[in-house]
Amino acid sequence: MLKLNPVARKRLERFKAIRRGYYSAIILAALFVLSLGAELIANQRALLVIYEGEWYFPTYGDIIPGETFGFDYRYETDYKALKARLAESGEGVVIMPPVPYGPLETDLAVGDFPPHAPSIDSGHYLGTDTSGRDVLARIIYGFRIALLFSLLLLFFNYLIGVSIGCLMGFWGGTFDLIFQRIIEIWSNVPFLYVIMIVASIVQPGFWTLVGIMVFFGWTGITWYMRTATYKEAARDYVMAARAIGASNSRIVFRHILPNSVSTLITFVPFSVASGITSLTALDYLGFGLPPPTPSWGELLKQGTENLDSLWLVLSVVTAMTLVLMLVTYIGEAIREAFDPRKFSYYE
Amino acid sequence: MSAYFIRRFLLIIPTFIGITLLVFAVTRVVPGGPIERMMTSALVSGEQSAGRRDTQSGNTLSEEQIKQLEAYYGFDKPLLESYTHWLGRVLQFDLGESSRYHDPVWDIIKERFPVSIFYGLTTLFITYLVCIPLGVSKALHHNSLLDNASSAVIFLGYALPSYVVGIALVSLFAANWDIFPLGGFVSDDYDDLSTWEKFKDIFYHGTLPLIAYMAGSFAVTTFMMKNALMDNQASDYMRTAAAKGLTRSKAVWQHAFRNSLIPIATSFGGNIAFFMSGSFLIETIFNIDGIGLLGYEAILERDYPVVLGILVITSLLFLIGNIISDFLVALVDPRIRFGEAR
Repeated sequence: MLKLNPVARKRLERFKAIRRGYYSAIILAALFVLSLGAELIANQRALLVIYEGEWYFPTYGDIIPGETFGFDYRYETDYKALKARLAESGEGVVIMPPVPYGPLETDLAVGDFPPHAPSIDSGHYLGTDTSGRDVLARIIYGFRIALLFSLLLLFFNYLIGVSIGCLMGFWGGTFDLIFQRIIEIWSNVPFLYVIMIVASIVQPGFWTLVGIMVFFGWTGITWYMRTATYKEAARDYVMAARAIGASNSRIVFRHILPNSVSTLITFVPFSVASGITSLTALDYLGFGLPPPTPSWGELLKQGTENLDSLWLVLSVVTAMTLVLMLVTYIGEAIREAFDPRKFSYYE
Repeated sequence: MSAYFIRRFLLIIPTFIGITLLVFAVTRVVPGGPIERMMTSALVSGEQSAGRRDTQSGNTLSEEQIKQLEAYYGFDKPLLESYTHWLGRVLQFDLGESSRYHDPVWDIIKERFPVSIFYGLTTLFITYLVCIPLGVSKALHHNSLLDNASSAVIFLGYALPSYVVGIALVSLFAANWDIFPLGGFVSDDYDDLSTWEKFKDIFYHGTLPLIAYMAGSFAVTTFMMKNALMDNQASDYMRTAAAKGLTRSKAVWQHAFRNSLIPIATSFGGNIAFFMSGSFLIETIFNIDGIGLLGYEAILERDYPVVLGILVITSLLFLIGNIISDFLVALVDPRIRFGEAR
């Protein structure tokens, strides 16, 4: 069990007391966990097939060829067709996920040209995009990718930022000076513009995009860590630790870092939000993840190009509003838990 | 103090060199530089791409043409040499020639600048005109009806990035309900309109983009003002003021308000630069012919002289904006004496 020191426990209590932020955290965590199992929610593969007495769970694992279920083809089974057939003949049962479409599956069978408007009958609860792919499925998978992306971004940004910032504060001197200049340069680079320039040259995949964004984005936290380390290093307990012969690494890892890193958590929700928004912006502009990756930005782009199909824009905007509101509520609550405000003396 | 600001202005030079060298180097080091991309795009689309202006036929570029292209962009020379060559020309206010329009980059940027400046200044003006009073009244009447009602709206603008607000606005108010135009800066018959109609036309086109621009800065500035004033109201000197019997309004306006302007001043310079250089996202969404859209199109068309030219302008604006911020902070906060022995 994680043992929290009294200060942290008190902050956690205060955070829990701020209902709005606390419930937002629970909802967001639930959404994230659900999205990790997105294959069970939105998929063209069935959850369960009972056919001739045998049970199949096609969701994960290799494809099950159509022959297995008595079709005359060897590519992947069309479970929607199978369900219709079995329902008619009564030979078995097919249970489809709540959204019976995968994020990459194109459904051109509705009759008309895509994009199709939302409809309960066809199972496209939020309609389809311009290639006939289900919007809800793409939003769910897009959410998972965007959140994982910004969590990774956060991890690497903070890893580099904390290490360099801490060393700057602890060593000082030339190292500090050199990195001060570097950070000055980095923080004045127009972030989105330069990433667009680089992305237009390399056409990034998932990891390259993380790399590019970390390369230009690590400075945000560094400055803060430098100041925090400076402050901590000058405190008496550090001198006391040094007096009893603690090594530099022990001082940094056992004393300075635990004391300065804790407040970093107040930045985390806002970093997550900015990760999601910048990825979506890049995707919107066409410099983000390569197609056909499900992405909110790409849906937004389709929506602005097909303004008649209002459901495209509205679905994404609603999803983004929901997620970003949750993240911001959490962020505000954490801030308040770390820094409870006293109000005016005139009250 | 003035020595400090002179030093700050001198420091622009190395930082500026650092930024441009960084971007210059990145465009070189990454695999598949501009020339190769140009070749593949020429291969794929067969379009009249930038480098093929002197060829009429053929799907690939000949060896000689590649050499020409490389010489044109300075890719035939080592990084530092071509960078100093480029920098030397920039110092003479020569940003090169656009490979798309064949006009000097500086002229193209100059032509687009007024549009971005119009939106920037209007946004800046309205933001500060509304946010400071709103923030103050929210802080003074914390938890009142006005505070809670405005918080809900402002919070939406705070959580959502401005481009999402822009997209939502354009699809609802322009496409769906047809209240505002889909984009552009002015109507096609703009030149025939009378002055008053011109004014109306600009704001008819400008309403949605301005709301989108303001969505972000508005929320941040209002919250900043509110939180700063609330923090200051809880500070020790306010307790002293209360104890010595100062009325609340006097204590707030003479003590707390001035101190609360410091964070606002800190963000001012950054805002200037941000609004001046325009936002590509908003300009792309509303199809406004400003610097942002120019930069976006230049990247798409691989018009590197324009791309670098805009980088020069925006980074200079950012650097100068930062200094303006510091200057304003020193102006409102008499405790701050930059550059003196601490």
